[in-house]
Amino acid sequence: MLDSFILSSITFVYFGAFVLYLLMMVMARDILGRIATIITWLAFFAQTLAIVLRWIRSYELGIGHAPLSNLYESLIFFAWAITLLYLIVEKRTKNRTLGPFITPLAFLAIAYASFSTDINEGIQPLIPALKSNWLIAHVITCFFGYAAFGLSFGLSLMYLIKQLDSPEKGNRFLAIIPGKRIVDELNYQMVVIGFLMLTLGIITGSVWAHSAWGSYWSWDPKETWSLITWFIYASVIHSRLVRGWKGKRIALLCITGFLCVLFTYFGVNYLAGLHSYAKS
Amino acid sequence: MTSVTIEKNRNILWRLFSSVKLTIVLLILLAVACIVGTLIPQATQSQMESTEFAMGLSPELLRFFIFLDLFDLYHSILFRSLIGCLSANLIICSINRFPGTWGLFRAKVRPDREKPFEALPPHQVFLTKGDISQVSEKISLFLKSHYKNAHTKTDTDRHFYYAEKGGYSRFGVYIVHTSVLLILIGALIGSFFGFEGFVNITEGDQIDTVNLNKGYEELKRALLNPSSVKSHPHNYKKEDDILNLGFGVRCDKFTVDFYENGMPKEYKSELTFVSDGKEVDKKSLMVNHPVQFRGVTFYQASYGQIPGKNVRLKIVKNNETGHAFSVETEVEAETKLPGNEGLFAVTGVKTNFMNTGPAVQIAVKPFEGEEVLFWVFEGYDEIRKKLPGPMLMSPKFSPSAFKPYTFILEGLDTIYYTGLQVNRDPGVPIVYLGFCMIIAGFIITFFASHRRIWVRALPDKKGISVSIAGTSSRDQVGLERELMHLTNGLKAYIEG
Repeated sequence: MLDSFILSSITFVYFGAFVLYLLMMVMARDILGRIATIITWLAFFAQTLAIVLRWIRSYELGIGHAPLSNLYESLIFFAWAITLLYLIVEKRTKNRTLGPFITPLAFLAIAYASFSTDINEGIQPLIPALKSNWLIAHVITCFFGYAAFGLSFGLSLMYLIKQLDSPEKGNRFLAIIPGKRIVDELNYQMVVIGFLMLTLGIITGSVWAHSAWGSYWSWDPKETWSLITWFIYASVIHSRLVRGWKGKRIALLCITGFLCVLFTYFGVNYLAGLHSYAKS
Repeated sequence: MTSVTIEKNRNILWRLFSSVKLTIVLLILLAVACIVGTLIPQATQSQMESTEFAMGLSPELLRFFIFLDLFDLYHSILFRSLIGCLSANLIICSINRFPGTWGLFRAKVRPDREKPFEALPPHQVFLTKGDISQVSEKISLFLKSHYKNAHTKTDTDRHFYYAEKGGYSRFGVYIVHTSVLLILIGALIGSFFGFEGFVNITEGDQIDTVNLNKGYEELKRALLNPSSVKSHPHNYKKEDDILNLGFGVRCDKFTVDFYENGMPKEYKSELTFVSDGKEVDKKSLMVNHPVQFRGVTFYQASYGQIPGKNVRLKIVKNNETGHAFSVETEVEAETKLPGNEGLFAVTGVKTNFMNTGPAVQIAVKPFEGEEVLFWVFEGYDEIRKKLPGPMLMSPKFSPSAFKPYTFILEGLDTIYYTGLQVNRDPGVPIVYLGFCMIIAGFIITFFASHRRIWVRALPDKKGISVSIAGTSSRDQVGLERELMHLTNGLKAYIEG
């Protein structure tokens, strides 16, 4: 299938972009960064095309639905959303130093989707519980939330690495990262976007669950873990807005938050629950 | 006034609950409690799993877990106290902070302040020529076209202008916190005035009661004495509380559609609602499309098959080669054997016996000799090919157990039953209102800002010096962009 072929090929493109972004930082050569940006945009467009092709193919199979229905499709969408969000941030801030922290996430997501043997790449019809208009709203909001938290994770790592910097060290990699205040501020903006999206994701999921399972909240492990993630980021926002926490403590909390996101996404599959169709 | 404030401050509890430090601690404690709840199987969700988990604990530990209600953590006193503390924290914080916010919102800002113009960057100041009264009017008009609230103040030689927008954004946070409380209130209303139940209705049958979901008290007894559940896993189902709906529900038909690859496509129950012996309403129920009747909502939750009454058998008498008798019989009805050696009856029916498909149990009572009991599978030859194990060698599973006859199961009537979840939750509208408000509140809190703009016009020897300054409750970058935009716009407006 053309779409699967494109998707597995761009795994390597994302990896190439990562290497170029990294070389740009290490060698302090701006031209490498510009090439990395072009490559990332190309990969993003190719991925968009592949997602559309997959969508069309599902209609040709007579089981048409948006490609957001299982683990494979969600991983592809996660990689797509995080790349889009990163490219927007790169364009707005005119700074490429976040690239080497974010492209590996997109690369890993697509690589896992395309090359893991436990993941079914086929287009499956929708079981009755998934046949709902809430599917698209729920998955899109959740994964844009995850993508924003992914960027926040990258920025937090960047912040912690930047802490090692000092003028006398003269490390090019560290010197090229923007100032801690800017990284911290951008990190907070990502947390706000992610928190809004996660809240929308939980709400759409809840309204959907109410019509599919008869209860808007069942303490299913995935629901509960999304709430845990929500609690963590709520405490990030409160500690920053009211207590004035900044910098290292916020960065560490954001890293914890992203680990919760990953557990909500993958770890929960090892606990029993209602969201079982997201497992394979 | 002051004495009240002092008293409030002295009150340790009030001080504790008005601290945001407590909020952060509570949020993290709630996160930890939820993690524990996903690691210990919850009895109200999966009784078998939590029973197995309980059996792996030492008796002391089990009693400790039960004491803390860890098997129903989300409804435990522990968890509810955390939620209660968070609500109290939220309410008290809001009460404490609201007057300040209100003051900021209502405050009449004096336009003639000098402070905002201290240390103003040079690109926010420009010189213009012309008559001061004309310039002043233009500034005033310009600000009024951009902001709803614009004020002017003029003294002898200085002209001041003040404008603001987005003052409401300071209330976003109260909207968010009120929504959280609304959602919690909605959940409480649901748990006090609602119910959750389930019922299975066989096609053609009518019910007027549903089984309420098991309460934790009952599950707790089962956890403390797991052996009783293990040996009779179904016993507990019968003790469920029964709720009378006050009307009848009949399932006229249940259908299940499959995709070509065998995955389920649609489950559908045709329901008729009956009140006082009259058919009041007919509705089709599908997954994701619940139906409501008199405030009670029905959800398509599960389905199954039960055997019907009719069984079609073929009986071959082996010594008369090829001679087969077709018999159609009902369960438990005694029928004569073709050669009149005795009577036989179908005594057991399984729609899916040991995962091999339909099977019936036949009891043959010969006029002379012992009764013979054996199971007959549908598609016996197929099954024998698949399972050549010693199990099928047992006379219990041999269709030729009573010589000289061989019984063949031709067909079994099956009837579908539909499994419905039946709920009433009067808290849902309040929860949904909370959902809408929390989103609106977030957008106001995070994306709107209270912006205040001051403009000053000072005539001097070189002309009129116009300065533009501003403050914002958030988003300093956005404010700077707006100030730049305003400066350029105002300059063009005055000079154009």
